[in-house]
Amino acid sequence: MPDGPTCPPPLEPDDDPVLRARLSAAHVAIIGCGGLGSNAAMMLVRSGVGTLTLIDFDVVEPSNLNRQMFFADQLGMPKIDALAITLRRVNPDVVLHAHQECVSAETIIPLVKDADVIIEAVDRADTKAMIVNTVLSSLPDKPLVAASGLAGFDSANDIVTERIADGFYLVGDLRSDVTLGHSLFASRVVAAAAHEAHAAIRFLLGYPEP
Amino acid sequence: MNIDLALFAYLSQYQPDGLGGRHARAMTFAPGTCISEVISELGLPDQPRVIFLNGKHAEESVVLGEGDRLAIFPPVAGG
Repeated sequence: MPDGPTCPPPLEPDDDPVLRARLSAAHVAIIGCGGLGSNAAMMLVRSGVGTLTLIDFDVVEPSNLNRQMFFADQLGMPKIDALAITLRRVNPDVVLHAHQECVSAETIIPLVKDADVIIEAVDRADTKAMIVNTVLSSLPDKPLVAASGLAGFDSANDIVTERIADGFYLVGDLRSDVTLGHSLFASRVVAAAAHEAHAAIRFLLGYPEP
Repeated sequence: MNIDLALFAYLSQYQPDGLGGRHARAMTFAPGTCISEVISELGLPDQPRVIFLNGKHAEESVVLGEGDRLAIFPPVAGG
C-alpha cells in the first residue's frame, strides 16, 4: 500500500522562472466547472499551469452568472466550451482536455489519471463523496483537493485548507451546506476556489499543506 | 479493543459523550468489529461519507485493530 502521493521536490521560493517552468509543465484535472471549478481553472491558468483537464456535463445558465466564471453572452453554451474560450483569452497556449460528461465511479478514473493533481469541484454532497472515495481508492498516489462547506455568508476566514489524510486536502468550513438554505455568494465561493487552486499550486511547487 | 474515533462536521453530534467537536475520542469495541458496525452502533445517518483509517482512505468492510485511528467525514453540498 503506497504511503500517498510523492510531492515534487521543493523549489527555491524566490526563483520565479523555475517556479513558472514547474507550473507550465504541470497538469491539473478539475471535476466540475461551476462556482469552484471555473474560478479555480482561471486562477490556475493565470498562475501558469500549462495543462488542465476540465470535466462538466452542464451548460451555462443565468443562475450561474452570480459566482461562476461565465458571461451573459455564453448562456446556453456547454460550460467546458465557454470556459475554454475564456481561459484561452488569458493564455492561448494553455493545453485543455475538455470532457462534457457527468462522471460516475465507473468513468472518472480514465479522465483524471494522467493529472498531477486532481481537484473535486462539484456541488452535490453524494457526488463529492463518490469522487473522493473513488479517486482515493483507485489512485492513492495522486493528490486530491476537495471542498466542503462554502455556502452562506459566515466569515471567509472560516474557509481553510487542511490535509485530512495522506494526499487528501480539504477546503471549506466543513459545515455550511447549501441544502440547508444558505445562499451561495461569489465572494465566499471564490475564496474556496482560490484555496483549492492554491493547494494544487503549493503541492506542485513542493510545499504541500502539512 | 480501543480505537480513536474522530467525527467531522455535523457527525460530531453522534459522539457518545455528546460534547461535539471534531477531536478524536478513545472508544472501546469488541475485537473483530468492522467500520460498518461502528457506524451502525453510533447511529450515523445514511448520508454520503468518506472514511479514513490511520490517515488512509478505507472501506466500511475493514476490520478494526487495537489502536486504530478512525475518522469519518461527511461532505456537504455547494460548489
